[in-house]
Amino acid sequence: MIENWSSLIPLLPEVFLLGMICVILIAGLYIDEKRRGIIHFLAILTLALTAVLTLRHFAVGQRYTALGGMFVRDGVGDILKLFVYLSTAIVFVYAKHWLRANKLFSPEFYVLALFAVLGMCILISGGNLLTIYLGLELMALSSYAMVALNRDSPVAAESAMKYFVLGALASGLLLYGMSILYGLTGSLDITLIAKALESGRQPEVAVAFAVVFVVVGIGFKFGAVPFHMWVPDVYHGAPTAVTLFLASAPKLAAVGMAFRLLAEGLEPMVKDWAQMLGFLAMMSLVVGNLAAIAQTNLKRMLAYSTISHVGFILLGILAGSEQGYAAAMFYAITYALMTTAAFGMIIALSHSGFEAERIEDFKGLNQRQPWLAFLMLLVMASLGGFPPLVGFFSKLYVLQAAINAGWLWLAIVAVVMAVVGAYYYLRVIKVMYFDEPDREHQIQAPGDVRVVLAANGLLQLFLTLFVGSLTALCVAAWQ
Amino acid sequence: MIPLSYWLVLGALLFCISVAGIFINRKNVIVLLMAIELMLLSVNMNFIAFSRYLDDMAGQVFVFFILTVAAAEAAIGLAILVVLFRARSTINVAELDTLRG
Amino acid sequence: MADSALLNLVLWLPFAGMLALALLPAARAELIRGLSLALMAVQFALVAWLVARFDPAQGLQFATDLPWIPDWGVHYRIGLDGYNVLLVALTAFLGPLVVLGAQRAVTKDLKLFHAMIQGIQFAMLGTFLAQDLFVFYVFWEAMLIPMFLIIGIWGGERRVYATMKFVLYTAFGSILMLAALIYLVWTLNQTTGVRSFAFADLIGLNLPLDAQLWLLAAFGLSFAIKVPMVPLHTWLPDAHVEAPTTGSVILAGVLLKMGTYGFLKLGFPLFPEATRELAPWLMGLSVAGILYGACLALVQDDIKKVIAYSSISHLGYVMIGLLSFELVGIQGAIVQMVSHGLVAGGLFLMVGMIYERCHSRKIADYGGLAKLMPLYSVAFLLLTLASVGLPTTSGFTGEFMALLGAFAAGWKAQAAGDSLMLVYAVLAVLGVVLGALYMLRLAGALLFGAERAPHAPLNDLDGRERAILVAILAAVFWLGLAPGPALELTEGAAREYRAIVLGHAATEGGQ
Repeated sequence: MIENWSSLIPLLPEVFLLGMICVILIAGLYIDEKRRGIIHFLAILTLALTAVLTLRHFAVGQRYTALGGMFVRDGVGDILKLFVYLSTAIVFVYAKHWLRANKLFSPEFYVLALFAVLGMCILISGGNLLTIYLGLELMALSSYAMVALNRDSPVAAESAMKYFVLGALASGLLLYGMSILYGLTGSLDITLIAKALESGRQPEVAVAFAVVFVVVGIGFKFGAVPFHMWVPDVYHGAPTAVTLFLASAPKLAAVGMAFRLLAEGLEPMVKDWAQMLGFLAMMSLVVGNLAAIAQTNLKRMLAYSTISHVGFILLGILAGSEQGYAAAMFYAITYALMTTAAFGMIIALSHSGFEAERIEDFKGLNQRQPWLAFLMLLVMASLGGFPPLVGFFSKLYVLQAAINAGWLWLAIVAVVMAVVGAYYYLRVIKVMYFDEPDREHQIQAPGDVRVVLAANGLLQLFLTLFVGSLTALCVAAWQ
Repeated sequence: MIPLSYWLVLGALLFCISVAGIFINRKNVIVLLMAIELMLLSVNMNFIAFSRYLDDMAGQVFVFFILTVAAAEAAIGLAILVVLFRARSTINVAELDTLRG
Repeated sequence: MADSALLNLVLWLPFAGMLALALLPAARAELIRGLSLALMAVQFALVAWLVARFDPAQGLQFATDLPWIPDWGVHYRIGLDGYNVLLVALTAFLGPLVVLGAQRAVTKDLKLFHAMIQGIQFAMLGTFLAQDLFVFYVFWEAMLIPMFLIIGIWGGERRVYATMKFVLYTAFGSILMLAALIYLVWTLNQTTGVRSFAFADLIGLNLPLDAQLWLLAAFGLSFAIKVPMVPLHTWLPDAHVEAPTTGSVILAGVLLKMGTYGFLKLGFPLFPEATRELAPWLMGLSVAGILYGACLALVQDDIKKVIAYSSISHLGYVMIGLLSFELVGIQGAIVQMVSHGLVAGGLFLMVGMIYERCHSRKIADYGGLAKLMPLYSVAFLLLTLASVGLPTTSGFTGEFMALLGAFAAGWKAQAAGDSLMLVYAVLAVLGVVLGALYMLRLAGALLFGAERAPHAPLNDLDGRERAILVAILAAVFWLGLAPGPALELTEGAAREYRAIVLGHAATEGGQ
């Protein structure tokens, strides 16, 4: 029984989002094909309004709970959510162009994406194993369906199947870990679990056993090596607009999940899971970077680069300190902004019947479209971590945290692999600037894509000036 | 009363069978979906056993949610399977290998 | 206050210029060239005004200090001091000449080219002006991408190979520096509780010797790659030969100084004990570089390669000057940096001029230019003599003072029973002889003998080229004939450097 409706106020953004999704779902049935732009507009408006609602009770430095602690609003959650909205809105702008060109422009994409966003919000705000699981599944199920959005593509169907099976396996492993945690602590509530573990009355082996399953589940969702098999296939096989979405916002949600489960729930076990994450981070950095060098498909290369970036995010989390979590969050935020721009570039150069997804397709881009080439240069250099672009600062922040926490050897691995990583990003720049174009095409992406892409690319440069305030925000979130 | 450990061993066995089913199976995608269902059921077994022995209802509530999600998951899995069969005319796991590298 | 704003203007002017150039329409070639040149000229004027107002008696001047990333202790700190004043002047001086020199050579993608020149100018000035380790590092790395494009787009046949090699070498070096930098700041925080990247805070840090050795190795490796010191030099000939004239001038003129400047400002003063410990080894490497570079320069058949290897040799003198820990040697090293920037920059510009006419850099293709292009030959000969170190030129001032410092240090070590330093000093003198040999061989082959050139008839220098060369030669002779003002500007910094590196107790017993 809900005695007091005002206790639901913290849930307002999510409730509003759910309501709007239903509206869009129904509106999609009645709007004919020519006027589908309305759906696009509605979806972006929904995200904007949800952001406004989130900001109205902005929880930085505070903590609200609802539904008996099942739902938590705090600074970490709110900041992550805001960037989920932002990156999804950017995704929508790019996606529209691609979906139109490939005759997939339908309300389903928006509805599924918004459902996934809702799932992420619930996941990020989960104060209970149950809410975390439900949020995770809502996000995952929507994503599986999105990958299979193009029903006529055999590649997409295959990658959707792989994604589904491995994703379900990951959820199963995570759930198994949760069930053991429940048995050991007698509670599903994150804070109560942490309290019970604090007392140290549980057999250590059993707790470690549960931690393994939880870490494996998180590793799967992040796409960390050795649980990365799905990442390249899904990135490659999924429709580019969907890859764009999957590459950005879910990483933020994964950080939120890792924070809730590991940093809050399993806080007393930090020694155990930090070791495991250390292994995952090292493997991700090595495998991701080395495998990326060998790729000729840009989407696949970005998939492997994602794996290596996940290694960096894990590096921040495993530091197990406030600084480390803030660094991981900062990394995930900047990474989401970089990766949207990188995929946005693929979309901006694609047109009907042609997908600019091979690295060769960028040959001589500087001579064809110097402005886009320059933006891509910024994005690639930022992903590669070249100063003064923002990607450098996020790497540095994470490394600082890891070194402060005594993970010097891992930091050295990360640094060495970052240099290896610089090579394949440079190769893209090389292809754009030094090679001769082998094809003349002057397709201009529509105005909104170009404007957003320009802003997104230049952000890599100008965010540098505001690194101070952004890090301050990330740090404030943890207090 | 049957000791808790019996239930946990049963859960663990079911879990292992389902994981083995996912990794060993090279024949049919439907078997994969069944293995996934089995995995969720083994987790349910754990939750119910714990709930009973801890005398706490929350675990059983969780089970209902898992069942619901499992149904949704099966629906999506089968839908993807249909799309896959339409596009490739096969649901043999070993033949799903166009994406490599 | 007004002056520090002016210094910020100097630094950010090229950045604004880069953005402004990016917005101009690509078809307006004259406008782009004009704007680029005007920006550089204004910048030089501003720097000249600031240098004139620089008071040698004081340390850091025209400083700015704004919080940038407060959580990490990073501040935007820049300022002019005795260490960087001459190098800033050199950078600003070469700026307009570089743009002017590229007037005819570069036609492809003009807009991007000038934007990148402005970008690299911004990064170079930032590196010199930085008074905060983090700011230093960011600017240091920011040079990479523009240089990558300059060599890669406008370079010669093997440009992609050369530019990749250049970037990977430098990136590898700087990543080590980054690791060392994080560790350094972490230690500072552990010992004093201060979170800061400021040079001033870090220099007082007393680290144990083994930590100093590791850190110096990490910093030193990245600086040594830039200098370049043997055996980390292999990127340089490739980069120089494949780079367009402009790229070579920037590389030789300013970029190589980054390495030696890094040692002078950071590497040695931050880790004084380790520096004293490693000085004989580093000295040995520097002397090896002098001789090795000179020997290789003797056998090259490509004009650019001769000058590239001569750079390795000449920067060796800077290193021995710095490592002599004698006032005269240190000041000589700074002058030698500037002198090499002028002379090697000038020589590369001259190679560019002849390459524009004949499209060949082979020494064997040329002969008797003294008759074909008399003015060119005179200028070339003068720069050659400056490179050799003829008295009255800047090369003489720099090399002579550096060697004087090395000998003074050598005698002292000899008196203490260690003759190794003296041997090094003698070997370094041998490098001067070799230098004369290869430069005169080059000049002789080009200027005298039977008249031949791949392209005839040859036009002698035009007004633009004359202006460039007159400016460079004037600076070369000014520094050679009247080095007083320049030495006065750097004396305070040189004394400070010496005091820090030798430890305060040692200086009292010294001079």
